[in-house]
Amino acid sequence: MRRWWAVLAVVLAVGLVSQAQVLRIAFDAADLKTLDPHYAAATMDRAVVDMLFNGLVRYKPGDITAFEPDLAESWEVSTDGLTWTFHLRPKVQVHPFPGAPEGYELTSEDVVFSLQKAADKDRSAYAGEYVGMRFEAVDPYTVRIILDKALSPSLFLPKVADYAGGFIVPKGPYEALGPRFATNPVGTGPFQFAEYVPTQKVRLVRNDRYFRGAPLLAGVEVWYMPDVTARLSALVTGEVHVIEGVREQAWVEAVKRMPGAVVDVFGPGETEVLHLNMSKDPITNLQVRQAIAYAISREEVITAIGPDVAEPLCAAVPPYLAGGLTCAEAAEKGLLYEANLELARNLLAAAGYPNGFAISAYITERASYRKPFENVQAQLARVGIRLNITVVDHSSFHTLIRQDVNPLVHYEAWRPSADAFLTRFYHSASTVVTGAKPDTNFSHVTSVDGLIEAARYELDPARQAELWKEAQVKLLEELASYPLYVLKFVFARSEKVDYGYVLRSSLALYPQVTELTRIK
Amino acid sequence: MVRYTVRRLLVAFPTLLAVYTLVFLFVRVAPGDPAVAALGDYASAEAVQALRERMGLTAPLWIQYGRTLAGYLRGDLGRSLITGIPVGQQVATALPHTLELTFAGIVIGAILGIPTGILTAVRRNRLPDYVGRTLALVGLSIPAFYLGILLILGFAVQLRWFPVMGSGPFSDARANLRHLALPALTLGIIMTSFVTRMTRSSLLTVLREDYVRTGRAKGLRERTVVYLHALRNALIPVVSVLGIQAAVLIGDSVMTEIVFSRPGLGRLMVQAMMQRDYIALQGLIVIYGALVVLVNLVTDLSYGLIDPRIRYE
Repeated sequence: MRRWWAVLAVVLAVGLVSQAQVLRIAFDAADLKTLDPHYAAATMDRAVVDMLFNGLVRYKPGDITAFEPDLAESWEVSTDGLTWTFHLRPKVQVHPFPGAPEGYELTSEDVVFSLQKAADKDRSAYAGEYVGMRFEAVDPYTVRIILDKALSPSLFLPKVADYAGGFIVPKGPYEALGPRFATNPVGTGPFQFAEYVPTQKVRLVRNDRYFRGAPLLAGVEVWYMPDVTARLSALVTGEVHVIEGVREQAWVEAVKRMPGAVVDVFGPGETEVLHLNMSKDPITNLQVRQAIAYAISREEVITAIGPDVAEPLCAAVPPYLAGGLTCAEAAEKGLLYEANLELARNLLAAAGYPNGFAISAYITERASYRKPFENVQAQLARVGIRLNITVVDHSSFHTLIRQDVNPLVHYEAWRPSADAFLTRFYHSASTVVTGAKPDTNFSHVTSVDGLIEAARYELDPARQAELWKEAQVKLLEELASYPLYVLKFVFARSEKVDYGYVLRSSLALYPQVTELTRIK
Repeated sequence: MVRYTVRRLLVAFPTLLAVYTLVFLFVRVAPGDPAVAALGDYASAEAVQALRERMGLTAPLWIQYGRTLAGYLRGDLGRSLITGIPVGQQVATALPHTLELTFAGIVIGAILGIPTGILTAVRRNRLPDYVGRTLALVGLSIPAFYLGILLILGFAVQLRWFPVMGSGPFSDARANLRHLALPALTLGIIMTSFVTRMTRSSLLTVLREDYVRTGRAKGLRERTVVYLHALRNALIPVVSVLGIQAAVLIGDSVMTEIVFSRPGLGRLMVQAMMQRDYIALQGLIVIYGALVVLVNLVTDLSYGLIDPRIRYE
C-alpha cells in the first residue's frame, strides 16, 4: 500500500514539474510569416519549424560543423557520386492531424513527397537547390536520390539536413490541411503544434512519441515581442525564459551583469559585407575601389559594434565554412586592405578625384545594417568621399537594391555553404537586373564564374576548398566587395534553462530547443 | 433620428469606397514587394516570381482592384498574402482586444479627466489648476511607448503587480483585467490629459455665459450652477473629443500593443504595412474606416442625449 502512495506521489510530482516545464521564448518579431518549412526564412519562423520537423540528417545540436543521423539511420553514396541512398528509421510517428488523430508512421513515400515539394518552385522557396535531382522510394524505409551531376558531401548533405528545403514535410497532413498547413504545421519533431494566436504567440506541446524519446519540457511557447525592453522585462519577471537580444556590445554587457541571466553569443553569424557596384561611376575604377577599401578601418567598425558580437571577416566566405578564407590567408596574399588614409587619398588623386566625390545610397532602417553603414560613411568622409544616405524601410531597401540603384550596398547574409555565398553574390548569372537569374550580385562581377562552377562539381573536398579560396582571392584583388565582419547571434536566458547541449553555433539561428532541453 | 442614422450609414459606403481606392493605389506606389517580404532574402528570384504569380500580383491592376472589391461586396476581406489567413478571421481575433483596450482607455480618461477638468476650471489660477494643467501637459508630452515602458518597469518589474506581456483570455475575466491594467492605464493617462484640457477650457467658456451669471444672481448654489447648468453644455465638446480620440486611439494603440505584446488591429496594420501585405492592409484599413464612421455616428447621436435642443433632421 505504501508503495502505491509513493508511486502516486512521484506521478503527481512529475505532473507538477511537467506543468511548469513550458519554455517561453520571445523573439524580436511582430508576428510569424509562415510555418511551412519550405518557405520559412525568418529566424522566428525557422525556430518554430526546427522544433516541429526533422531532416534526413541533422546538424549536431549546438554545432553546425558536424552531421548526424536524423530521420535516416544511415546513408551511403555510390562510387560515381551520383546516387545517394538513405535508410529511414522505422517507427517515426507523424504528429496527429485532422483525419489521423493518432498520426501515422512516416515512410519513404512521405520523404519523396517532401523532397519533390522542396524542388517545386510553386510549393517551395528553395526549389533552385534541388535542380538536377530525382527522388525514388525504393521500399518503405529506403529513399534514393539520383543526381545529374555528382556533388561533394559538404554541398549535398545540407540539402537533406534540418534546414530550409531539407525539412521533411509529411504528405498526409500537407494534403489534408491544404493552405492551412502554413499556420497549422504537422511534422515529426519533438514538439507538435497546438495553437497560433496572431501577433502574439505560437504554442507547441510535447510529442510523447518522439523517436528520440519524449522531450523533458511539457511544451514551448514562442512569443512575438518586437520591443526589446518588454522582452528584457519579461525575462526579469520570469514570464519568459529565453529572449532574442540586441547584437550590440553594450546590451550584452548590461544583461551579463543582471543576476540570474545568462547571455549566449553564438555562431554561425551573418556576414556584413560592403558590395562595391562596379557598373556605376566612379566605382568602375579599380583605384577608386581600392581607395574605398583603404579608407575603411574594419577594426573601427567592429569596435563600434562590439568585439563580443562581431568578428573580422576578410573574404566573401566566412572562415567557419568549408572553403572559407581566413584573415591570415588574406593577409598572406597582401589583400587585407588595412586602413591607410594617405594611400587612399593618393589612389583617389591617381584616379582623377583629388578632392573626392559624392555618391548616394539607400539603407534600411534596421540597426544592424544602418549603424555600420553610417560608420563607413564617417570613415569615407575622411578622404573626401561624401556618402549621402537615405534611410528607408526594410522592404523598400530590398526592392531598391535589387533595382541596382546603389553604388554601395551594405548586405547582411547567412548562406549554408561557400557555393551558396559565391553563386548568389558573385556569379554573373546572379547579377541584379541584368543577370540570367537576377539575384544578389550587386557588384556586377563576372570574373569568378568558372571557379565557382568548377568547385561546385569537384568531389575532392581539399581541391574544392582550394577552388573556393582561389575565387575569393580573385574577388579581393578585384575588390568586388569589402568584407567587414561576421555578426553573431545574441540571446539571453534565465540561468535555470539548460539547452541540453553545448551551444557553439546553430544553423536555425536561435538556440535550439530539443528533447533534452529543460528548466532546472 | 432613424432617418438620420440610415442616411449617415448610406453616406458611409462612398466614403469606404474612397478609402479602399486610395489605399489600393498608395500601397502599390510604395517600393517593396510582398513576395520578397514573405520569402526573405535567401529565396531565389525564380521563387519570388512564382510566389508573386500565386499571390495574384502579376494580374493587371484593375483586375486586382475589381477582384478585391467584389470580395468586399460578398463580405470577404480576402486572405493575407503572407500568412494565408483570412483577413476577416484576423480582424475577428484582433478587434476585440483593440476595442477592449480603447474602451478601457476612454473610460479611464473620462473618469479621471472630467473631474480634473472641472477642478482646474472652478479653481482657475489657483494651486489645483496649476497642478492639473501641468500634469495634463506632461501626459500629453509623453509618447505612449515610453509611458508604457515606465509603467512596466514600475508596476510589473519592480512591484510585480501586473504581467509584462500578453492579453489574457476573455474567458478568464481576472487574468484578462490583470493583463489589461497597464496598457489601459497607458492610454488612459494620455486620454485623461486630453479630456482635462478640453473640459477645463469648455467649462471656462460656459461659466462666462449670461445664463450662468443669471443663475448665480438668483442665488443658486455654486455647485448647482456648475454641475447642473454649466457642465451639461460644457460636455458637448468633451464628448466630441472622446469620439475623435476613440478613433485615434484605435490606430494609436499600436505602440501600446507592441510594448505590451498584445494582439490588436493597430499592430496588424503596421505588420501588414511592413510586409507589403496589400490584401491584409486594404481590408484592415477599410475596417478601420468603418469603425471611424461608426464612432463618429455614435458621437453625433450622443449630443442629443446631452442637449435635448439638438434635433436630427
